[in-house]
Parts: sequence; C-alpha cells; structure tokens
Amino acid sequence: MAGAVNIMVRRRITALFLIMGCISFLLTFRLVWIQFIRSEYYQEEALKQRMREVQVEPKRGIIFDRNKKELAVSASADSVFAVPAEIKNAHKTAEALAEVVDMEVVYLETLLSKKQSFVWIKRKIDDKNSQKIRSLDLDGIGLTEESKRFYPNGTLAAQILGFAGIDSQGLDGLELYYDQYLRGAPGWIVAERDATGRKIPQGEQKYLPPKNGNDVILTIDEVIQYITERELSKAMQETQAKSGTAIVMDPKTGGILALANYPTYDPNHFGKYPQTSWRNASISNSYEPGSTFKTITAAAALEEGKTTINDHFFCSGSIKVGPDRIKCSHTEGHGSQSFADIVKNSCNPGFVTVGQRLGKDVFGKYIKAFGFGEKTGIDLPGEAKGIVRPPEQLRPIDVATNSIGQGIAVTPIQLAVAVSAVANNGKLMQPHLLKEVRSPDEKVIKKVTPTIVRQVISQETAKTLCETLAGVVTKNGTGRNAVIEGYKIAGKTGTAQKPGPHGGYAPGKYVGSFVGFVPADDPRLTVLVSIDEPKGAYYGGTVAAPVVREIMRDSLQYLGIPPSEPIDNDKGQNNTGESSQYLEESLNRTIHVPPLTDLSIVEARQMAKLLGLKVQIMGEGSKVVNQIPKANVRVVPDTTIILYLGDEQKNMAQGNTDQKGKMEVPDVTGKTIRDVAEIISYESMDINIHGSGIAVRQKPHAGEKVNQGTLVEVWFEPPSVHE
Amino acid sequence: MSGRRRDPDYVLYLTVVILLGFGIVMVFSASSIKSFVRYGDSYHFLKRQIIWVVIGLIAMTFTMKVNYQIYRRMAKPILYTTIALLVLVLIPGVGKEINGSQRWLGYGSLTVQPSEIAKLGIIIFMAKYFSDKEEKMQNFMHGLLPPLLVLGVIFGLILKQPDLGTALAIAGSVFIMLFAAGARIGHLAFLASLSLPAVGAMIWLEPYRMRRLTAFLNPQADPQDSGFQILQSLYAIGSGGLVGLGLGRSRQKFFYLPEQHTDFIFAVLGEELGFIGAVTIILLFFLFLWRGYKIAIYSRDTFGSILAVGITSLIGLQAAMNIAIVTSSMPVTGIPLPFISYGGSSLVITLAGVGLLLNISKFSIHQARK
Ligand SMILES: [Zn+2]
Repeated sequence: MAGAVNIMVRRRITALFLIMGCISFLLTFRLVWIQFIRSEYYQEEALKQRMREVQVEPKRGIIFDRNKKELAVSASADSVFAVPAEIKNAHKTAEALAEVVDMEVVYLETLLSKKQSFVWIKRKIDDKNSQKIRSLDLDGIGLTEESKRFYPNGTLAAQILGFAGIDSQGLDGLELYYDQYLRGAPGWIVAERDATGRKIPQGEQKYLPPKNGNDVILTIDEVIQYITERELSKAMQETQAKSGTAIVMDPKTGGILALANYPTYDPNHFGKYPQTSWRNASISNSYEPGSTFKTITAAAALEEGKTTINDHFFCSGSIKVGPDRIKCSHTEGHGSQSFADIVKNSCNPGFVTVGQRLGKDVFGKYIKAFGFGEKTGIDLPGEAKGIVRPPEQLRPIDVATNSIGQGIAVTPIQLAVAVSAVANNGKLMQPHLLKEVRSPDEKVIKKVTPTIVRQVISQETAKTLCETLAGVVTKNGTGRNAVIEGYKIAGKTGTAQKPGPHGGYAPGKYVGSFVGFVPADDPRLTVLVSIDEPKGAYYGGTVAAPVVREIMRDSLQYLGIPPSEPIDNDKGQNNTGESSQYLEESLNRTIHVPPLTDLSIVEARQMAKLLGLKVQIMGEGSKVVNQIPKANVRVVPDTTIILYLGDEQKNMAQGNTDQKGKMEVPDVTGKTIRDVAEIISYESMDINIHGSGIAVRQKPHAGEKVNQGTLVEVWFEPPSVHE
Repeated sequence: MSGRRRDPDYVLYLTVVILLGFGIVMVFSASSIKSFVRYGDSYHFLKRQIIWVVIGLIAMTFTMKVNYQIYRRMAKPILYTTIALLVLVLIPGVGKEINGSQRWLGYGSLTVQPSEIAKLGIIIFMAKYFSDKEEKMQNFMHGLLPPLLVLGVIFGLILKQPDLGTALAIAGSVFIMLFAAGARIGHLAFLASLSLPAVGAMIWLEPYRMRRLTAFLNPQADPQDSGFQILQSLYAIGSGGLVGLGLGRSRQKFFYLPEQHTDFIFAVLGEELGFIGAVTIILLFFLFLWRGYKIAIYSRDTFGSILAVGITSLIGLQAAMNIAIVTSSMPVTGIPLPFISYGGSSLVITLAGVGLLLNISKFSIHQARK
C-alpha cells in the first residue's frame, strides 16, 4: 500500500523537512560566525564589561600635635549604595530607606531606578544609621566601608586643621596645605564582576594595595591650643566682640604653638557653618596694628642710634606734623620723659618724633626687614601680605602715622613674628606649623628645622628693647593687665580705630590688641591677642592684655616654666587686684588636675575628692603610675580622673599587663573619643573609631585579656538630648 | 482497521530524553547563581525543573498510551475549552499578572498557562479540520478561511496577554500544517503577504516592538535597553568558541544575561559547551524533526499525519526561533527552547505533544510494512 496519506501531503512534508534542514544549517552557520570568526571580539568585549576597577581608598594620614596627640584622624564609616538591578520594588525600597538616609522618597526612587549597575545613595553615614540599614536588610541596598575624616577635638584648632571632603581630599587649612603628604595614593582592585558589581568567584583579578597617607606632626601643642581657645572665647563672651584672634608661638624657633580665631567652627560638620568662620583671620586678615606697631618703630630707632633708652622727649599732648596734628592718648601731655617712658606710656608724640628722626627710607627698610608687606610664608593657605606703602610714596604725615602703627595694615601673624624677632635677639624666624612628616611606618620624611630669615636688629638692641617692653607690663604701664606675679613679661598694647566704609575711621569701632613675650629675659612664648570691635571697653590694655595674661599663665604652668622674679611678699602668694580676682573666677569654673602619680591609691583618692574630682581605678598595684587627664590640665568639677595603678618597681610605660603579657581591655563606655583614644593608646592597643560622640559599645569587651597592639573597636553615638 | 500496535519510535523517544538531560544540566548551571542570590538555595530552579520533567514524562506516558483517534472526536470540545481558558485568563482578578503579562491561571505555585494548552488544542483542531476537508483545501473561501478565522481569534487572545512569541509559534505551526495539508502555494503566499501589514499594525500599537525589531540588527547601538539582552547573549556565545568555557563556567550568567535559565539558556549553553555543544543541540532537534516528519509521512491516516506535522513543527519552530533570537538572527520575542529551558506548563505540554507523536508512531504503516 502506497500509504493512507495522500502523495501530495507526503511530498509537502518532505519539502518541509528540507526547509527545516536549511534553517538548521543557517543557524549552524550563524554559530560558526559568532563562535569562530567573531569569537575573539565578543570575548574581549565581554571581559571588558565584566572587569571593573574598584578604587581602594588609602587611609589619610593623621595630624598630630607636637606631643603626638591626634588632631585629625581617619575613622571608617559606612557608605550606602544601591544595585538597581536587584531592587524589585523601587518605591517600597525608597520608602523604607528615606528616613534613615534623610532623603526625599521621590528622589530616592529615581536613584534606585537608574539603569546603572551601581549608584551611591549616601556616603559616610554614622554608625547608628548604618546599623539601621543593615537591619532593614533591603534587596539591592548595600553598605561599604570607607574612610571618614574625623576631628576628635571638635572645634579645637579648626582653622589650622581645615577639613577634608567626602573623598578625603584636603579642602582647607593644613588638610589642604599638606594634602600631598596626607593623601596617600589609592589602590585598585581590578576584578571580574557580575552585573550587580559583586566579584565573580574564580574570576580574573588583580590587586594593587593603596599607599596610605603620611602622618603630619605639628608644632601646635594641643593643651596650649586648648588654653588659648578657651581664653579667647571667654574674652569674646565678656567683650561681645565681633571676632578675635590669638597666636602663641615659640619666638626662638618660629614654631606656632597655638593659633585661634573666633568665631570658629567644627570641621566635623564644616558644611553647617558659614564659610566666613572657616577663614583663618590670623593669617588672612590685615588690620591697622596701632600702638603694638610702635615696637617696630622703637626697634628701628634704637638700632639706628636715633635714640637711646635714656634720651628725653617732651609731650605736650599732641604734635604738629605739617598742617596736621597728632594727639597723644594722654591729652594733657606726658611732659618730659625718657624713651623708656615713651614706650611704657605708648606716647604718640614721642614715637612720631622718633619716626621723623628715622626718616621714611630707613624706617621703610626696617618695616620691610621685620617682614611686613610680605607673606611670612607660614605653611597655611590663604595668607595675606598686609598693606605697606613704599617709602617713596610716603608724605611726612604718613611717616608720622606709620610710626604709631596707623596707615599701615598687617596680619596678626606678621606682628607676632616681628615681635618674636625682638624676643629672639633680633633674629626673625620663619613661622611654621609643621614639625615633621612621618610615613605610616614611622620613618621621618620631612623635618622642619628652625630657619632664621634674617637678623633684623642686633642682639644688644633686642636686649635693650626687651627691657623697655618689660616696663610696659608693670603695675603702672599700659600693659598692667598682663602682669603675672613672678614672671617678667615684655609686651605692647595697641588700640586702633577701624577704617570706615567710606574712608576715614569708623566711629566706635576699634581693634584692641596686645602682643608680648615671656619670660622677658629668656623668652619661651610670644602671645598675640587682638579683639575686633569689642563692646564697651576697647583699649588693648583692657580687652586683650588680660587674655594674654591668662594664656601665658596656664601655658607657663603647663610647660613647667618656673617663675624667675621674686614674688612681692606684701601681696602674698596670690596676685592682687584684678588679676587675682580673675584667677578666683577661673578657679570657680575649672580645676587644675593635680599630679597624682607616685601617690598611694588612698592618697590619690583623698586629693581628688578634696578638689572635687572623681576617680576611676584601672589595673592593680599599690601606687598610681599614670593618670588621665595629666596633671595641670584644667577640667570642670566632677571630671573623672583615670588612675592607672602599678607596682613601684614596674615601669609606667606599660599598662595593666599581667604576667603572661596579656592585658585587660579597659571599659571605655561613656567616654569621649579623646579620652578613649588616650586610654586605649596608653594600654598599647590600637583603636578603631566608629561614629562620634560618647562611647556606647566596644569590642573586645571590658575585662577581656588581649595581647598588646590588639585592635579595639569602639562605637560612639551622639549623647541624646534628654540626658 | 483497529490496527496492530507497534513499538513507538524509540529514536524519537531517546532524542527527547537526551534533550531533557541537557535541559536539566543547563538549567542547573545557568540558574544556580541566581537561585542562590535570590533564594539562598543554588538548587532552587534545578529541583523545580526535575519536578516538571517528571510531571511532563508522566503526561507523555499518558498521551503515548491513549489512542490518538480519540482527539479526532474531541477536537471541537478541546477547541472550545481552549478558547474559554484564553478568555478566562484575560479577566482581571482571574488571570495572574506577572511582569506585566496576564498569562497564568491557578492558585499559588499550581498554575497553568492557557496559551500553552492552546498550542496543542489548536493543532488537534486543525489536524481534524484539514483531514476532514482534505478535498476542500484548494478552496480558499470554504477550505482555508474558516480555520484561519479560528486561528485569528486565538492569535488575538494570546496577543492580548501579551505573549507575542507563543502567538507567532502557533500561527507558524498552523501555517505549516496548511502547507502540509495541501493548500495552494498561491494562497499561502497571499496569506504570508498579509502578515506584513499585520506586523506594521502591531508596531504601530506598541512602538517598543520597533526597537526590538531593529535591536538585533545593531545591538551595540542601544546597549542599555533593547540591545542589551542581545549583546549579552552574543558575548556569551562568542566567548564559548569551539569547546566552550566548560560546564558551570559561564561568566555571562552572572546577571549579565537576562532570563539566563529560560529564554536565553542556549546562550549559556553556547558559552559553557561551545560550538560543539550548540551544534549538538541543533543536531538533536534536527533528528527530532526527521523522526517527527517520518511519523507524519508513515501515519496510518491523514489526521495522524497532519497532527504529527503540527506537533513536530511546533517544537521545531520554537527551537529555531529561540536559537535565532539568542544568536541575534531575528528580533527578540519571548520563546523558550523546548525541552531545555526552565518552565512548567510549556515543558509539560511539549512532552504531552511528544507522547501524542509517539502514539501516532505506534500505528505507523512504515512499521507494519517491515
Ligand atoms: Zn604723650
């Protein structure tokens, strides 16, 4: 039988089979094309798309003070990212996430719906929020650890340090100036990744480790900086001034010990402060120095022999210069007085006379030699030059006004450096903030040695002028408010009227300043304070001199510089008048931490209790071997002092180590970052800071025995409002 | 003619089993990463695929046992049921909507796709119609138009879901059956020419189809959207070369390839098993076509013959379309690779169809002649 199916159907089916065969052949040919001829190209393209470079951020270097206290550190912080491809419901995810990352749902939704394999949601969030996100466990939302710049002391030294941006790049201050040292070099992970950005197991990969940034060690002393800022801000409150600046430097090296400006800001949250508060006025603001500049006039005149310390001048209350008349602040006139008295009284006619004797060219030469009209070259961005007119442009009246510090504009740092030259036997030092740069493995990369810019005046002239300036800071000098019993202080007050917006002077707007150094015979500290637009009293001697005194007093005590002068027994141990009153006031607010080391635990407890301090005992032993905070630091009442116990024979270099070399992890909860860092580093352990505020958790837990160098993770949270 | 039963076509049987084996292995390889990321279980899709294969084999055994003549009598009820199900799935609240397509009926994980049932349903109906009206096939008005109207209704219903791939596969199969049943070439050419304005209308209704239509010509032009899938697929197959990267070594399955274990599984296969693996699959399908058409030719009656052509062509056409799409030889429409792609209803219906085919082979005159 030829078949039940008709012949045409059979033929058609055979034809169909042949057509299908052709299609199979065509598809096979297509495969040959893709898998042989174009194979290499597709393979390369595919690999190109899958190989992704991921930058590994280097750890930015730490900024230390001169005693290796941390001023700026890098802590790890989590960043939130999204992998849109993995998000099933962008709207729901956005709603869940919006509150935690503080973003609009609508905006978030557009981010989550982007046709990208990877989208940043928010960088460097605090630990609390990152925990929340972790607990939400949303599909397609991930966290990655990045390094966040952190300033453990908040506003302390803000304008010096500046701040670093979200990509850890220096943006202002030293963070900017020394960015090339701090920054380090990023590393790379080149790895084959899936479409959502995860590494493909057994995929191709290469790793180039990052080069961590170098540590920068400053000449700044954290404690002196703290004292300076505290006193400046106190003065700002009392005088209700617009702004203020204080500089403390070592006149012998040019090293800046402290530099403070008010108003200030917290570099941890720099974006929340006006940009004006970021400005480092002490180097970028030019102002008319007024009488403090007379130091320069005096130095030039003495050096040039235009006067001796005993030459006599007559002050009638004013002096005529051409058609103009320059008044003395003492309107009745000082009468006949020695040059020393002129300085002491800050007598204008006397200085005008001296300036006229110098003449514009010689005077101009000294102004320039002392560094005015030029940048000091301090290692900070944004330094101003000040305004100094060239001698050939000066009319007689200009020479006269310049000699009393008017008609000239200087920066606070220029003046501090110039006065330091007088304190430093006439040698003008290069001011600097950098002490050294060290690599992560502690190798010294750069070390700053004191640099003499030039010898401005002779050593003899400098000595004479020191004596003369010491006369200013005496009971009956204009700098009487800077007197500290037992110390010989040299200095000069200044009160300058501020220029008005339309020329001339603005009525009622003054800058009161004081610049001085101590001890006058062997200067260790130069301190400059200027208070801009104080309300009420505005004389430098009234508004600035007491601030200088307080800064000097606490700094001298902190540095352990003993009094050199006999103390007047009539007045007893305490200072008299205004000065002692000030001391009492300050004693009411703060307590000097006493040295408690080498005392027994009972003695230490008693001493602390007597002063209104609390103690916390760490370790075991019969004697206190170390304490935090250290002696002489000022603290508020009820502050807890941590006492480390040990045996007498045991060196204090080690914490509470037991026989096996293991150490107990201290309890750091409830402490500030600063304290925690100090405690942990004292225990020779390393710390990893998460978040900010007060320590709430730690790992390993308190009491666990660990080896030296163990990394202790500490989580901080901002203190809650109701506490 | 009750007909002596012969052995079923074992070559066809074996071919299908081998293809199923490839399917299970490839589904596991292609889906394990996705399974793990999405469900925390690398075997998530594998387990389900094995269950579906078992269900499919049960269905196949069943249809293999049931004399195919029964469908001749039930052709009309089957057609009405099919149309009813296709209407039902479109009713909001009754049909389940997933990814913007309303294709599923049922509760929980127990769902069926009426469009899959429709594939077999319409083939059975057409086979009966064409074999009954064998002599009228030359007549356009009386022979061709009525089945085309039925096809039009079903095509429209499936397109409404929307499921263009299935609709095209069904239309193509019916067209092939028309050809096999002896329709005039002129009529067929006329019908084919009608599809051009239809394609135009479809593009006009849904402009995204135009982008899909052109994306395969130049996938690089739009790598983020329509061209993305195609480009990823080409990267995968191209990376395979002659012998492939090795089983389980696909790189592109790491979320670059969309639908890596369903519609684009052939790309993973091409990447892991290379040209050799890909051509083996094509050869297996070619073998399947050969056996299927052979069963058609040696069928005892025209109904069995046209039915065998329909089932064989449906599976062959889907395979050709899938491989053509994955190799960027035609525009993208969602169509699974029979026996290999992960998928429930589709696999079960396909295997049921194979069972039917095997049943027809049992009554083959070719066998009897031996
Ligand atoms: Zn006078």
